[in-house]
Amino acid sequence: MTEILQFAILFLTPVISSLPIALAWIYKPGEEWARKLPYLSVFGLFVSLVISLNILFNFEEGFYSYPWIEDFNINFVFVVDYLSKYMGVLTALIAFLIGVYGLEYMKDDYRLGWYWFFFNTFTASMLLVVYSDNLFTLLIGWEGLGIASWGLIGHWFRDDDDITFVGEKGRKVGPLEMSWSPSFGGWRAISTIRFGDMPMLFAIAAIYALTGSLDIHAIPWEDLFVKIGLVGTVILLFLFLLGPFTKSAQLPFSEWLMTAMTGPTTVSALLHSATMVAAGTYLFMRLTWYIKPWEAHVPGLEAIYLLVLFLGLFSALYGASVALGLRERKVLLAASTMSSLGLMFASSAASFWVGEIAVIVAFWYLIVHAFAKASLFLVAGHLIHATHDRFCSGNLVFSRKMKVAFAVTIVATISLAGIPPFTAYWVKSGMDGVMEHLMEEGLSLPFYLLVLVSVIYSAFLAKFLSLNFIKGEYPHHEHTEGGGLMKLAYSAMVSMLIVLLAIILLQREEHAAHFLEEGYLKMSLYVGLLVTASYFITLYKPTSKLKIGVIFTDRMYLPFLNDFIVPKIGWGIAAIVDALNRAIDFFFHTAIPGFFDRLSIAIRSIQSGYLKSYVKIVAASIMLFLVIFSLVGW
Amino acid sequence: MTESLLMAAIIILTLGAIFSLKDHRIGFAASVVSILLAFASLTSETYFFGFFVIAIGVLNLITLFISENQIKGIDYAITAMLIFATILVIQTENFAVLIGTFVLVSVPTYILVMLSDREAKLDVGIKYITFMVFATIIFIIGAFLVVYFYKEMNPSIYIIGYVLLVLGLGLEVGIAPLHEWVPDVFSAADPIPISIIASIAKIVPFIVAFKILIATTNPVTYSITMFAAFLAVLSMFTGNIGALTSRELGRVLGYSTVANMGYILATFVAIVKPEFIYLAISGALLQLFANSAGKIGFFTAIKKEGVSAPFTYTLALSFIGIPPLMGFWSKLFITLALVYSGYVWLAVLLVINSAISVPYYIRLARELGKGWGYGIANIVGLIAVLITVITFYPPDWFVQSVKFIIETFGVAL
Repeated sequence: MTEILQFAILFLTPVISSLPIALAWIYKPGEEWARKLPYLSVFGLFVSLVISLNILFNFEEGFYSYPWIEDFNINFVFVVDYLSKYMGVLTALIAFLIGVYGLEYMKDDYRLGWYWFFFNTFTASMLLVVYSDNLFTLLIGWEGLGIASWGLIGHWFRDDDDITFVGEKGRKVGPLEMSWSPSFGGWRAISTIRFGDMPMLFAIAAIYALTGSLDIHAIPWEDLFVKIGLVGTVILLFLFLLGPFTKSAQLPFSEWLMTAMTGPTTVSALLHSATMVAAGTYLFMRLTWYIKPWEAHVPGLEAIYLLVLFLGLFSALYGASVALGLRERKVLLAASTMSSLGLMFASSAASFWVGEIAVIVAFWYLIVHAFAKASLFLVAGHLIHATHDRFCSGNLVFSRKMKVAFAVTIVATISLAGIPPFTAYWVKSGMDGVMEHLMEEGLSLPFYLLVLVSVIYSAFLAKFLSLNFIKGEYPHHEHTEGGGLMKLAYSAMVSMLIVLLAIILLQREEHAAHFLEEGYLKMSLYVGLLVTASYFITLYKPTSKLKIGVIFTDRMYLPFLNDFIVPKIGWGIAAIVDALNRAIDFFFHTAIPGFFDRLSIAIRSIQSGYLKSYVKIVAASIMLFLVIFSLVGW
Repeated sequence: MTESLLMAAIIILTLGAIFSLKDHRIGFAASVVSILLAFASLTSETYFFGFFVIAIGVLNLITLFISENQIKGIDYAITAMLIFATILVIQTENFAVLIGTFVLVSVPTYILVMLSDREAKLDVGIKYITFMVFATIIFIIGAFLVVYFYKEMNPSIYIIGYVLLVLGLGLEVGIAPLHEWVPDVFSAADPIPISIIASIAKIVPFIVAFKILIATTNPVTYSITMFAAFLAVLSMFTGNIGALTSRELGRVLGYSTVANMGYILATFVAIVKPEFIYLAISGALLQLFANSAGKIGFFTAIKKEGVSAPFTYTLALSFIGIPPLMGFWSKLFITLALVYSGYVWLAVLLVINSAISVPYYIRLARELGKGWGYGIANIVGLIAVLITVITFYPPDWFVQSVKFIIETFGVAL
């Protein structure tokens, strides 16, 4: 019972603690005292962090349930297992640190009530997704993520500041202007996510209808798949995974993540790199954890895992290539996030052939990526503040004034790139091992794709470092004073990478030994050296005039899908509806009244007023009827 | 007892008519007393019927106060004769008396139709009388043929009789395709006398026809019934569609009458279903009463150039058939009777016709409704509205009373 109470506090505190600022801003927006209330919101995040740590260290692994709609077998069921206990702490910790950062970053904003309410609602929703075993409560959190994402991306809804836009104003490719506003970004995010959420909802409903249960651990997955057969399994899982695919911005649903960069940087750091977009991959890992595809022998399952494997790898390659071509600080990082999410999907999917360890590798990569990418985003936000420019700029003279940011970027990039012996190297080595294992199954392409992605990934991280601190232009605008809280937040964030490295090297975790073992393999070392070379070459020469770069900058023209083809389909549907609408209007407003008008006039036309004609009509009618009935009878 | 009450009523009516030459109010008072005496002659089963007839009759008499016509004083007695005939027709099973009541509601209207505040409307009178005489004759011929040949099992003559009777009825009350006089007379005559013709005078012909046809039901009736259905549909559509674009309000009410007579004629299809005939007759009578109240209210409004808007809208909604107004219940009973008799298509057409009628009734209510007002026209409007809202209490009571009435609904042959 006390565990359930702690779960309730964990989910509710962030929301409740954000209500004072939300209400204050409705009634007294911009008051000086109201600008102090965000401290309370951040305190709420801190409470969640403390509880999540308590869950990690003091809770037994297992399931904690509280009755809700018992007649329908729908209950609050929360899971504490390997995935959720770490993911919960990760979410709460990153939310708290970014909350601290946001106290300074957002302090002069015009919509603090809106910002903190959605920021904290997001955190609560994410924690609900992380700890829910019941798909119904998970779905509530899942939709909370979508709403918060919409609210926060479109936070600067006035669209009045170029610094909040994505793309270059006035730059046209064909009929498209490559520029997107915050309000547009918010709308695109929610509409894309809904596109995936609807099929996912149907899939969950189907699972419930077929098994009578919504608790992930209790659903008899293998029986379910056998029952619905190959085609049924493929359809059900595909519909279900459309939710994670859109949430995690996999191809072809990636554009919303790029235009989501119109939101405040804190939002990009928390939602659109570390946690919310990772929720898609996390849900896939959680399902895989309980489906145990490496044990189940169901034909449809292999097809789905193969799809996820390659979708993830190609999304990773796409995201990395695009990141290479981008010069906007945040959009570059967004593309790289998409790439990382692709790798997480791919590695988790490989578990079908490799086993549970593939999921653990993917999960570790999720953790490392979250801290590193959040650090980079927070630095990017500080840089945007300092230079008032969303494009990369900065050289060694500038970086002397931003020493902490410079240092944090160095640590974050080398830790994330996979350069030996830093944090991601060991995890990436595990991933190399997983993909290598696939070669034995006759799948050699995934390994080569992974190596290619790793090399490109390392290159754009170096590019980010170089263009912002070493070889970029000197910023046109400079405002490097202050920023104490921001520095504190990203320093703390990046230090977590060191902690993770220590955990691996000192083998303080059950799977650390596996990573060390993989890291000492020759093949891993070769890949690590390749990645290192790529990093340093790009650091030395961060720009290129190759034509292919323009294609990458334009995101391989994928915006055409979202901004041209989909709207054309939409307008097509609108045209059909409009035509039907006109037809209905014509029928009811013109055709029917016109018909009755004419008929009415025709009926009244016999009223000539002459008695003689009336007598003729009446006499003729009577005679006619009499003749008919006399001759024919009835 | 009954006979002496009726005799007393006639004597008072006659004396009242004579003394009304001195003061027309004597005529009014004598007419009211006379019809109350006639009402007293009714048996308890027919009280509800009698109540509605008296209410409508008194309303007719009140409206005559507004009219300054050529025979001021006598007009009350003439109208009272119509009411008297309507009270009589429900009680009698005598074929000769039935024919007599038919003539009694027909002939006095020849005079009424020509009355006016200025000079007598001779052209209207000629047009009206021509068709009424025609109607009375073929109705009576039809009635004789039906009564004397149904027993002989001579289907041909029975069918001719049925057709003549229905056509005579149709010409008398204004059913298409014999309705040509109705829009012309309704728009050209003075609104007050025409409101009497459009209300109380419509009841007797239907009851006479019902009684004769019920009494003479035979196997041939099953098939010839279709003829009544055909005329009913023709009349509904002609009336409702004709009214849609008519500009003159009197003409709109004329077409409305054609449509309403169609609804009532439709109930003739239930004659061959004895188990549902009470529903058909309940619906027909309520439809006649609702039509009467509405017509009196609207014609009075035309005469006085408008009455209070809530009255006109209530009457319009009753005509359209909105619950719980009387027009709803009447159409409901008619529809049920049609469905139970196997004429679902006819019921559907009736409902469609109710929908078609919506625009012109709302138009009537809008053009004749003028805010709030006082005066005799508004009293008439108020009473008419009270008659239509009496069914706020679901009129099962009326249906039950009709179940008793139809036990004596026929002709002693």
